[in-house]
Amino acid sequence: MPIIWLVLIVAAIAGAGYVAGRARAMRSVEGDHRKLHSLPSYYGWNVALKAIVPAFILAVAWLLIQPLVVSSSVSGMLPEGAIPENSSRGLIMAEVRRAADGLDMAVETGSISPEDARSDAAEAAEISQVLKDSGAVVTSELTEPILRAAQRYRALNATGHLLMTGLVILLSVIGALWGIRESRGDFRARNTVENGLRSLLIGAASIAILTTLGIVLSLVFNTIEFFRLYPAADFFFGTEWAPSFSGRGGSSELGVLPLLWGTFYVSIVALAVAVPIGLFAAIYLSEYASKRVRSVAKPLLEVLAGIPTIVYGLFALLTVGPLLLEIFGKDGLGWMQAGTAVMTAGLVMGIMLIPFVSSLSDDIINAVPQAMRDGSYGLGATQSETIRQVVLPAALPGIVGAILLAASRAIGETMIVVLGAGAAARLSLNPFEAMTTVTAKIVSQLTGDADFASPEALVAFALGMTLFVITLGLNVLALFIVRKYREQYE
Amino acid sequence: MMKDNVDAKVGVNAMDVKFTAKDVQVYYGDNHAIKDVSVDILDKTVTAFIGPSGCGKSTFLRCLNRMNDTIPIARVEGDIRLDGEDINAPQVDPVQLRAKVGMVFQKPNPFPKSIYDNIAYGPRIHGLAKNKADLDEIVEKSLRRGAIWDEVKDRLDAPGTGLSGGQQQRLCIARAVATEPEVLLMDEPCSALDPIATAQVEELIDELRQDYSVVIVTHSMQQAARVSQKTAFFHLGNLVEYDDTTNIFTNPQDTRTESYITGRIG
Repeated sequence: MPIIWLVLIVAAIAGAGYVAGRARAMRSVEGDHRKLHSLPSYYGWNVALKAIVPAFILAVAWLLIQPLVVSSSVSGMLPEGAIPENSSRGLIMAEVRRAADGLDMAVETGSISPEDARSDAAEAAEISQVLKDSGAVVTSELTEPILRAAQRYRALNATGHLLMTGLVILLSVIGALWGIRESRGDFRARNTVENGLRSLLIGAASIAILTTLGIVLSLVFNTIEFFRLYPAADFFFGTEWAPSFSGRGGSSELGVLPLLWGTFYVSIVALAVAVPIGLFAAIYLSEYASKRVRSVAKPLLEVLAGIPTIVYGLFALLTVGPLLLEIFGKDGLGWMQAGTAVMTAGLVMGIMLIPFVSSLSDDIINAVPQAMRDGSYGLGATQSETIRQVVLPAALPGIVGAILLAASRAIGETMIVVLGAGAAARLSLNPFEAMTTVTAKIVSQLTGDADFASPEALVAFALGMTLFVITLGLNVLALFIVRKYREQYE
Repeated sequence: MMKDNVDAKVGVNAMDVKFTAKDVQVYYGDNHAIKDVSVDILDKTVTAFIGPSGCGKSTFLRCLNRMNDTIPIARVEGDIRLDGEDINAPQVDPVQLRAKVGMVFQKPNPFPKSIYDNIAYGPRIHGLAKNKADLDEIVEKSLRRGAIWDEVKDRLDAPGTGLSGGQQQRLCIARAVATEPEVLLMDEPCSALDPIATAQVEELIDELRQDYSVVIVTHSMQQAARVSQKTAFFHLGNLVEYDDTTNIFTNPQDTRTESYITGRIG
C-alpha cells in the first residue's frame, strides 16, 4: 500500500475525530458553548492533533529505521564465501538491493508472478534472464546467495511496511479515542492545543538546526578521513597545489595556501569594489534621495541581488575579461596574459555584492534616530558633516556587519571564479594573473571520475571544512560586532 | 469681536530685542500650523511658549533657527529678523544661523561618542579652537556652564549615552552652549526628566539668562512661571497673548488664556 493511502487514512481519522471531539464537548454542556472552558473548535483540534502527531512521528521513525534493520539482517545472512575476492560486503549489498528493486519492477510489469519471485525454487540464472528482459539494471549474473538475499530483502520490507501501516493506523485511532474521551466541558483544550502548536514550532526549528549539524558532521568525518591519508601539515602549509589523477595517490601535492590566497585576493578586490560603491549608494538613498527616487532606485539596485551568479560568470568571461585584456593585455600595458584573471572575477563579484552592502547599510542608516541628525543640525553642522561624524559612527556596527556578511558571500562564491578567474593555483601578487579559489577547486576535485576514497577527492571535504570555518568565523564576528555596539544610541 | 492675535510690542525697548517676528505663517503640506504670529523676543531674558498640544509652539520655535528646513513638506512665510537681519533671506546660510541660535531638544540626544567629543563637536565643526589646549578649555567651560562638570570631569572619555537622563540633557545643553550661540532654543527640555533633574535644568536655565536669550517651550505652566520672565500663549496656531509672565498668570487679558491657565482648555 503506498504511503499516500496511509496519510489519507490518518487524515480521515483526524477529521472524524475533530467532528466527534467537538460534538462530545458540546453534548457535555448541553449545547451551551459558554459553559465550555474553550471554544468548541479547540476540542476538535485537540482530538485531531492527538490522532495525527504520534502516528506521524511513528511513521517517520519507522521509515528511517526499517532500511537499517533490514539491511543488517540481510547482510548477516550472506555467507562469507558469497563475497568475491576483489569486492566488499557493501558492494554486494548494493547488488542485493538492485536485484530486489528489479524483482519489484518485474512483478509490477507482470513478467514474473509474485509467487515465482518469492519462491525458493527459483533458479538464479532464470530470474536473472527475466530481470534483463524486463529492463531492470542487473550488472552481473545473479548468484544463488544474492538471489536468496534479494528475496529475503523483499520479504522483510513487505512485512515491515504492513506492520508499520497497521501500527500507525492503530496509534492514530488510539490517539483520537483518547482525545475524544478528554472532550468534556471542563477540559482545557485551548491550552493543550497551544502546547501542541508550540511543540510543532520547536520541531521545525530543531529540524533546521539538526540539518546544519548533519552537514557539519559529514564534513568533519570526511575531513578526518582525508587527514588519515594525507598529512595535515602538508595540507595547511603546503605552497603547491598539484593533484594527480593517475589514481596512484601519494604523488599529489595538496597544499591549501595557493587556494586560500586566491580566495582572499579575489574577495579583497571584490570588497574594494563593493564597499565604497555600496556604502555611498546607501548614503545617497537614505539621506539625500527624495522619497520618489528612493522608491524606484532601491528595488532596482536589489534586482542585482536576484541575478544568478552563473550570469555574472558569463558577464565576467565574455564582457569584462576581454575589456580588461584590451586595456592591460599585450596591445595595452602588457600586464595581462588572458581574459581570466583575479581582476576580472573580483570586479564582477564586487558588482554582485553591491546590493548586499547597500541594502543592509541603507536599512541600518535609516534606523539611526532622527534625533541624532536634529542634534547635529541644531549645532550648525551641514548634511555631509552630520553624516560623516554622527550618522555613520552611529551606524558603523551595522555597516561592519553588512560588510562582513558580504565578505563571507565573496569567499563562498564559486561560479564567477570558475568562469572569470581561471583554474591555475598559484601564489602571485599580480592581480592580472589567473588564480583560483577554494570553491572552484572543490568543484574540479569532485567532478572528475576520481575514486571517492582517494585523497584527491577527499581533499574537497577538507577544503569545504576550511572554508566553512572561515565563513563561520566571519559571521560570528559580524554578529558579535553588531550585538556589542547595537544599543549605543538607544 | 476678539482679536485672534495680539500685537506683542507693549513696553519693549528696541535696543533689547533679539528676535523680531512679523506675520509668520507655517504650513505642513495643507495644514496651516502657524497663523499670523508676530512677536519680539528679548535679549538676556527667558521667554516661555505655553499652550495645549498641537498649538504650534514647537513649530514656531523651530522657525527661529530654520530647523523646519529639514522637513521637506514644511513651508515658512513671513518676516523673522535676528538682530535686524532677515534669517530667511537667500544670503543667510541656515548652517551659520544654527551656530548662532542653538537648540536643545525634548529627548536628550547625545551622540554615540565620548562626553568630550559630544561637547567638542560644535567647536570642531566651526573651527572655534586653535589647538588642543584651547579645545580642552572650551569643553571644560561648557561643561561648567551646563552644571555637569563635577559629575563627569573624571570620565570625559566615557560615552555620553551612558549618563542618566538628566545628565544627558545637561550634556546636550552644554553641547549647545559650546558653540557660543546668542540664543538658546529649548523644546520641552524637561519632559523626559524626573523632578530632581528638572529642578537642576531649571536652575541652569536661570543662570544661562545672564548671557543668552533663552526661549523655552513647555507643557508645564508651573515651569513657565518658575523660569521665565516673558510668556507667550499659543492656541490653535495663533499667538493669543504675550506679556510679562506675572501678568499672564495673575491677570490674563484674553479669556482663552484664562481658560488655559485655570485648566479649562488644553
